[in-house]
Amino acid sequence: MGVFDTLGISASGLLAHRKWLDAVSDNISNINTTSRTNEAAFQERFINAQAVDYGSGSGGVRVAGTEFGSAEGRLVFEPDNPLADKDGYVKYPDIDLGEQMTQLLMAQRGYQANLAVVERATSTYQAALQLGRR
Amino acid sequence: MTFPLGGIVPVGVGGVAGIDSTSIVPASQAASSTSGSDFASILASTVDGLAATQSNADSLAAQAATGDLKDVHDYMIASNEASLATEMVVTIKNKAVDAFNEIMRMPV
Repeated sequence: MGVFDTLGISASGLLAHRKWLDAVSDNISNINTTSRTNEAAFQERFINAQAVDYGSGSGGVRVAGTEFGSAEGRLVFEPDNPLADKDGYVKYPDIDLGEQMTQLLMAQRGYQANLAVVERATSTYQAALQLGRR
Repeated sequence: MTFPLGGIVPVGVGGVAGIDSTSIVPASQAASSTSGSDFASILASTVDGLAATQSNADSLAAQAATGDLKDVHDYMIASNEASLATEMVVTIKNKAVDAFNEIMRMPV
């Protein structure tokens, strides 16, 4: 508990969205990572966000963990690929770039929204402190 | 990037402790005013909190300088909070000194 709790709560939101951005960038950077058909494909990363209950003390959000998508991937016919099996297939991760770009936008806007709260809370606190000046 | 405000702790709040409100008010009202802690201890704990906030911002500033900082916003929010807390304590201190001066100017 503190006087400037809003800043800490917004910081937890910023951290959660930063981790979301990390997950999206991981997904996008590995979107063309191929693997052999008998190996697991790159698994899509999901961030599991969880609310920190307001009554319990601090409030805000935290990242409870990372979830992984399917390791099955999708089979692509690429006989020239050195990783291809005898039928000429390789595994690509089952990640949709359009969906990742949407998530990127959402994570970015969420981060910016939390920053806007920090800015607004700061000017609000300063307005309150103006009361003490003459 | 470090804060030049590190050593604000020895403000000398202990010297004010003699002026606790109970010694001034009449005995009939003393019971109601002793329930809360006196202003000096409140100010002292606030200044302690300010020092903690500033040392937090300081250590984050050191991390930013050495490249150990994990999150940019951590340091920005900590320095923001430290400057807000400083403003608040200074405002409260000014108010208290004003009140004290007002009392000292009272004609007896």
